[in-house]
Amino acid sequence: MRTMLKEAVRPFEAAKVGVELQHEIEQFYYREAAALDRREFDTWLTMLDEDLRYFMPLRRNRMKRFDDMEFSADDEFASFDDTYTMMKGRIRKLGTEVSWSENPGSKTRHLISNVMIGIGQEPGTYEVESAFITYRNRAERQVDIWAGERRDLIRRSDTPFGFKIARRTILLDQTTLLANNLSIFF
Amino acid sequence: MLKNPHRVGPAQLWTDAAIKGLFDERGGYVDPRIYTDRDIYELEQELIFGRSWLMLGHETHVPKPGDFLSTYMGEDPVVMVRQRDRSIKVFLNQCRHRGMRICREDFGNAKSFTCTYHGWAYDQAGSLVSVPHAERAYGSCLDKKEWSPKQARVETYKGLVFANWDPEAPSLAEWISDAGLYLDFMLDRSAGGTEAIGGIQKWIIPCNWKFAAEQFVTDFYHVQYSHISGMTSGLPEGMELHEVEMPTEGFQFRSKWGGHGSGFMIDNAAVLAGVMGPEVAEFWMSGPMAEEAAQRLGGREYANAPVGNHITIFPTMSALPGINTVRTWHPRGPEETEIWVFTVIDKDAPAEIKELYRRQNVRTFSSGGVFEQDDGENWVEIQRVLRGFQARNTPFNLQMGTEGSTEEHPVYPGRIGYVYAEDSARGFYAHWQRMLTERDWATLAPSDQAIAAE
Repeated sequence: MRTMLKEAVRPFEAAKVGVELQHEIEQFYYREAAALDRREFDTWLTMLDEDLRYFMPLRRNRMKRFDDMEFSADDEFASFDDTYTMMKGRIRKLGTEVSWSENPGSKTRHLISNVMIGIGQEPGTYEVESAFITYRNRAERQVDIWAGERRDLIRRSDTPFGFKIARRTILLDQTTLLANNLSIFF
Repeated sequence: MLKNPHRVGPAQLWTDAAIKGLFDERGGYVDPRIYTDRDIYELEQELIFGRSWLMLGHETHVPKPGDFLSTYMGEDPVVMVRQRDRSIKVFLNQCRHRGMRICREDFGNAKSFTCTYHGWAYDQAGSLVSVPHAERAYGSCLDKKEWSPKQARVETYKGLVFANWDPEAPSLAEWISDAGLYLDFMLDRSAGGTEAIGGIQKWIIPCNWKFAAEQFVTDFYHVQYSHISGMTSGLPEGMELHEVEMPTEGFQFRSKWGGHGSGFMIDNAAVLAGVMGPEVAEFWMSGPMAEEAAQRLGGREYANAPVGNHITIFPTMSALPGINTVRTWHPRGPEETEIWVFTVIDKDAPAEIKELYRRQNVRTFSSGGVFEQDDGENWVEIQRVLRGFQARNTPFNLQMGTEGSTEEHPVYPGRIGYVYAEDSARGFYAHWQRMLTERDWATLAPSDQAIAAE
């Protein structure tokens, strides 16, 4: 299962990715971000496909000659590595009154930009890279800020939001995680 | 009543008598200033982290000669390196010239470690071997043999690598004391031994290291409340939380010496399945490897019946045998802990079981884990509450399970009581107190007298 960990930057293919497609996919991401920030997790679940792999590898400090091992491999430990069923379980947890790390809920803002679209191998699929800055405030004074990028495989779908995410590989710009937990999604 | 320990002199050091007032075994209370006070923290660095066996990783983190792992003993950076003779060395990650780190990556393989400041180079064993312009710049005054990084003692326990700065400290086997069997539940199940699944997750929690170590030494009690939503995330569809019967039968173990402790439920597959899934519960409790484990460990009451195990080896090594998360709680000041987590699994386990261990540990016991994320919430809030003067001068209750423990349990060795207890926490703090007030191993090291004192 491709996790798109080691993709090189690809040139822009104007003939394949028109303004309209770019606009459409960006709008999907803004709405996805809004669902997360408004804690509409059941809505967010409708944006995920059933063959989902939601993956955040570990990141390590490596010297240049070992750059290719900066991220943990997809058979090693990770910060997230969820199937759709596992993700559904997480959202079920969030739906209870006793999910203490998110009750009271985190105040988050997912800012998505640098959306770079590639045409996927199957018709109606897109390999999309995007950058994010996610701000979180918890309880009275806790603030966490995460930056990073997401490498997604998304599919057109006959659902209100128009796409579903089948793969998400999240590359966080941190090695030692500087927050007390990762109880939110990226 | 809690005695009010006072500081003496301008250096604000705590007297032994004051430290003895911070925890009272019989009264069953602990003074919360042990979680906030900077001077106590500095004493811990010297007397606990400078003298204890600290768990640094697994042998399979450094399989080949030259393989290294950069890690920490307390706040001190160290390098753990596999030698050509298969032994492991651990030395301070510090150049003796200006104190720069000599290894700046998290892990890898190296023939030597060269300081990037002025180029002093050390071999795999940590001996200074090369100094640029040595002859003209230093002449005969520099004796390279005298200027290598400080070395720690290294010993292993069934795959786990521990190190200790103190040449006088007892051996690792003596240190682990009667807690070994409870580690063996995880480490000695199969002839092939264990291996670490690749990758160590690291994150920080703004709380004192003892909250974490104490929870793993004693606290099954919090599971039924802190982690009830974590259980929800693993329920089969259609099954509701109220249909889950919370476990109530189990034991707590308090080591006779050393401040270690463990606890577990008995013969309740749902406890393990609720975290790891039914395949892992079967693997652990009744499959072919479960039978091998029973033979090695002396019966299914050791290998298969205990589930949901938690354990701490004093001060900062903790694990959940069965789930197989292994971690070190590295102190980072009185109000911060850095957690380093990896997973172990029997080398001979089937590939699909190894994959379940990997993926379910990421899902449950990691920074984003559906169980672990709620621990972070609790400890952070306690630490914040303790900013209050009244709050940190109001003792915490540590009385649970003061009656009914026995040293003559028919099955389990050590001091055994009901699973919901704080006997092991009292053992942890009794040892903590002795480490801070007894500077001589003559009285501190395991002996009939020392055992009686704990």
